Amino acid sequence: MTLQWQPSPPDHVPTELMIDFDFFKIPKGITDPIQIWHGLVRQGVPPIFYTPHNGGHWVFLKYDDIVEGYRNYGIFSTHQTPIPPIEPFPVVQPQGMDPPEHNVFRRVLAPMFTPLAVRRMTEGLQHRAETMISHFAEKSRCDFIDDYASKFPTSTFLELFGLAEERLQEFLDLAHIFFRSTDPTERAQNLNDIYAVLEEMFREKERSPGPDMASTIVAARDANGNPHPWEDILNCGFLLFVAGLDTVTNTMAYVWRYLAITPGARAHFRSKLDDPAAFLIAIEELMRINAVSNIFRRVTHDCEYKGIRFRKNDRVILPNTVANRDRSVFDNPHTIDLDRKVNNHVTFGVGPHRCIGSHLAKREIMISLQEWLRQIPEFELDEEQDEGSVFGGSVMGFTSLKLRW
Amino acid sequence: MSMRVVANLNVCQGHARCEDLCPEVFSTDAVEGKVVIEQPEFPPELEEKVRLAVRNCPEGALRITKGGKA
Repeated sequence: MTLQWQPSPPDHVPTELMIDFDFFKIPKGITDPIQIWHGLVRQGVPPIFYTPHNGGHWVFLKYDDIVEGYRNYGIFSTHQTPIPPIEPFPVVQPQGMDPPEHNVFRRVLAPMFTPLAVRRMTEGLQHRAETMISHFAEKSRCDFIDDYASKFPTSTFLELFGLAEERLQEFLDLAHIFFRSTDPTERAQNLNDIYAVLEEMFREKERSPGPDMASTIVAARDANGNPHPWEDILNCGFLLFVAGLDTVTNTMAYVWRYLAITPGARAHFRSKLDDPAAFLIAIEELMRINAVSNIFRRVTHDCEYKGIRFRKNDRVILPNTVANRDRSVFDNPHTIDLDRKVNNHVTFGVGPHRCIGSHLAKREIMISLQEWLRQIPEFELDEEQDEGSVFGGSVMGFTSLKLRW
Repeated sequence: MSMRVVANLNVCQGHARCEDLCPEVFSTDAVEGKVVIEQPEFPPELEEKVRLAVRNCPEGALRITKGGKA
């Protein structure tokens, strides 16, 4: 097999832009993985630098460059971007395509994720949150990741895709291996398992469609009225499976961890339970400060950007958390201001690939927090936390978070 | 003079921050989730909210003009 998407050796990178940085590695003693990125900024490394780790890649550290990385798809493509570089790699739909091809599946998905569509999901989300929290509210403690933050979005996925709630454990296991396993054999098997489940699901929805996303995707037709290629349908299902689970889980983990150690913030949210607009403004601030995703792009051709030479297939990482605390854009960027007036965070990206699930994600987090505070108004971190429960990578977060009340 | 707000739909990506911050003036459509300006010429009492919505647009898709047609 010929490899097409491998970056070239970094002989085009000036020595002064070469920095030793591994975004998967969280040094001992760091309890908040986001801090590895802010550590770089504090050290004063160049705002555009290259690291030889993980196959070699660039890192952007300025809001303006990160936004350019999102918007300028002529240079910074979403097609074939994995870091470290892997081939072959599935072209997930629509995220893995640049405009205009990107529009084909974006159009299929967009109506299902508009604010209007998400508002119609509110009741179901509320019911799910209320029930799930009531299972452990009396126990006075929980592992927030296992008992809530990983279950809630996975269970939401099952409902949206018209799958039986009884399959929750099967999907939790699939997702757990996908996001956390580092064993190549296990990972390869897991990918096969996920695609087998998607195949079975879409075939079933093709035969007997229902009012769910899987049925809508499989029934969609292209501009000429023909069905979409089966492989693209599977890759679209795959995107929705992987994109909406770990991101929501770990954002929730960050939010609850912050609230567990910040009585004033708990009081703030409790005081806004009957004021959704103010509640949402505070949620936006927690979205800004707890941006768990580091986004990948691939350079489409040899070129110069900001006077720096880039080669075709060079990889670039856009760390949202860094953009969100750029002092040229945000006043007191490291301060959490739950009434922040102007908050142009990039947690959901900008440009044509703006996270299509952003409204659903925010609604899941907002409703979860509202229901939580109604049932568990006060809570704190358990003194005993698992060692080494933080991880870096494309999504950063926690494998365990023990809370008590 | 009345104030008017306009949107560039080529730039809007459907973040819906404007709708969250000032639902009196902004909503979003059911197909792409892009901005719909319900009330282009908004009353002075909404000026602060509209300005906030404009400043919070992550794409810079909104603009306020003074009166008349934009």
